[in-house]
Amino acid sequence: MSDSKPAFNVDRRKFLKVGGATGAAVGGLGMGLFGYAAGKDPNSYLGWQTYEGVNQFFNRKRYEVDKPTYISSGTPRRVDPRVDQIFERRGRFMMQYMRGRQQGLSGPDMFEEPLRSYYRENPEVLELDILNVEEIQPKQRVDSRIYGQQFLLAEAWANAMGAVGPRGPQGPPAENDFPRQRRMMGSRMPGGDQPQGDMPTPPTVRNESGQVDLKDPVQTARLIKKIAHELGSTLVGITKLNPDWVYGYPIRGRGFENLDEPLEIPEHWEYAIVVGTPMSWDPMYANPTYGTSSDAYSRSRIVAARLEAFIKTLGFPARTHVPGTSYDLMVPPIAIDAGLGEQGRHSVMITPELGSNIRPAVITTNIPMAVDKPIDFGVQDFCKHCKVCAENCPSGAIPMGDKVEINGYLRYELNQEKCQNFWNSCLGSMGCRICIACCPYTRKANWLHRTALNVTANDPTNISDKVLTSLQKSFYPGPDPLEYFMPSMGGSNASYREPPWWLKAEDFIHFTPGTGVGP
Amino acid sequence: MSFFMSGFFWFLEGALFCIFILAVRAWAEDRSIPMPYWKWISLIVWVFFVGFTLAFIGTSFGEGEPAAAIRGGILFGVIAIISGVGLWRLLKIGNIPGEEEFATATEE
Ligand code: SF4
Ligand code: SF4
Repeated sequence: MSDSKPAFNVDRRKFLKVGGATGAAVGGLGMGLFGYAAGKDPNSYLGWQTYEGVNQFFNRKRYEVDKPTYISSGTPRRVDPRVDQIFERRGRFMMQYMRGRQQGLSGPDMFEEPLRSYYRENPEVLELDILNVEEIQPKQRVDSRIYGQQFLLAEAWANAMGAVGPRGPQGPPAENDFPRQRRMMGSRMPGGDQPQGDMPTPPTVRNESGQVDLKDPVQTARLIKKIAHELGSTLVGITKLNPDWVYGYPIRGRGFENLDEPLEIPEHWEYAIVVGTPMSWDPMYANPTYGTSSDAYSRSRIVAARLEAFIKTLGFPARTHVPGTSYDLMVPPIAIDAGLGEQGRHSVMITPELGSNIRPAVITTNIPMAVDKPIDFGVQDFCKHCKVCAENCPSGAIPMGDKVEINGYLRYELNQEKCQNFWNSCLGSMGCRICIACCPYTRKANWLHRTALNVTANDPTNISDKVLTSLQKSFYPGPDPLEYFMPSMGGSNASYREPPWWLKAEDFIHFTPGTGVGP
Repeated sequence: MSFFMSGFFWFLEGALFCIFILAVRAWAEDRSIPMPYWKWISLIVWVFFVGFTLAFIGTSFGEGEPAAAIRGGILFGVIAIISGVGLWRLLKIGNIPGEEEFATATEE
């Protein structure tokens, strides 16, 4: 007995030590496997798999601030979309440029006001607008025929996602935004021949204007947000509409008759509800050739139209502003006011949950609601050091320098024309969005990137901004920006990351050599 | 959900960590190495750092970012090795030469 006891002790201690060493090895392996599973986890792609998942929301409360993080620096001027909004301006440009050319005119004289004065003041913009139609688009058509077949599925995906969407406004705000009144059981009811807002509610809960008697703005805001999530919105915020963000003039397709008459802000555009969904993540990382904005805009457009119908059914006016059916206002600053995020160097809003990967829509209304506060989670400081988007931007549209005053606000000045010209040069699903894909905030919601986000958001010294920025640059390299260009412009149609398997056309389709997908 | 993301996985990781800590204590006792609190803290911090490095490598591969996995693995791995050597020396502080043999002989 006395001989065997110490031997047992020795064995037990040895066993413990060997067990500890084995445990350390197995535990380490487990950490690696955990990491792999976390990296692969589809649930860390937020926004479409669930609208109320455990990881879904960043706790905004502690980052709330009284004023948004953009800085007012002068007298605000409402944007004139006829010249300042590139899609509107280029629409006008095309018609007038073609006509002017036929008449043998050149320079700003080819254009009517306000384009003529605008181009006189900004000749470099005219140069870029002409470059787009005379050089870039023709080259793109040729390259599409030669190289485009590779992106056929991406194009099909973009078309499919853009194929569904509700109609835009059918008239100016006074006509379009209000629920149609009709008589039902002797009472005035919203609805009528317009599908939105057609619901036979008992008349007793409505006032003379057909509006329901809502109990409490806080409860209404809660209800509206819940409905927005149920309808499919990943993020939703509410703010009072700042008139500075409404265009100074209406744009085409919004139901206004005279586009050269200043847009008077209707009284019922009191609040703005901002909804937003992300672009599908894997194609988004494979920008510029495989990604598309159509998917997220289509989702956001449908959510917004449904929310508009919901609000109208309660008897209140509502109007949706979203690309596809266009808008009467600038969406990003309104989304920032509503506490969804902050504006980045690339001019896109950055949200804590989705980074820059969000396509928002706005619904203007006067249904009384409690509003959200803007947030400050450190983006302004981070962007000062980061510049990853500016370094990766193929067109050089994103500034490396400081913010400048634009229309009374300090912000980074994006060169819209250079950006848009590059969009028009891309093959595949059309567009660029590399700045969105490479932004360090546009990451999966897994432990690694959530930790980095929380560190930067809470570090008052900004040391972590510099450390994380340099890690970002060395760990997550992308192609040389020149590689993103199409071959006729010296590039190789590179994408920021590999496309997902389901967009690799060459794996599914027999290609005839020498043919492409061009128009 | 993957097993490696489940609560049960973390329970197992915790159990392995406890066994590892007990083993370190036995190892230190056998060699008569004193283990004041700062040694335990340094050791635990180091273990967490190694765990972070391995999880970083795994996550980056899982995300389809092999460059991040390799570059991060090298950077954090080198830091872990250098700090591990330093920690090894730190752990031995206070060790009385010859005590190890004495302890083993007593046990036997
Ligand atoms: S979308 Fe592309 S071209 Fe435009 S700013 Fe971003 S990276 Fe540059
Ligand atoms: S890439 Fe960097 S600089 Fe650009 S918006 Fe994102 S955080 Fe800001």
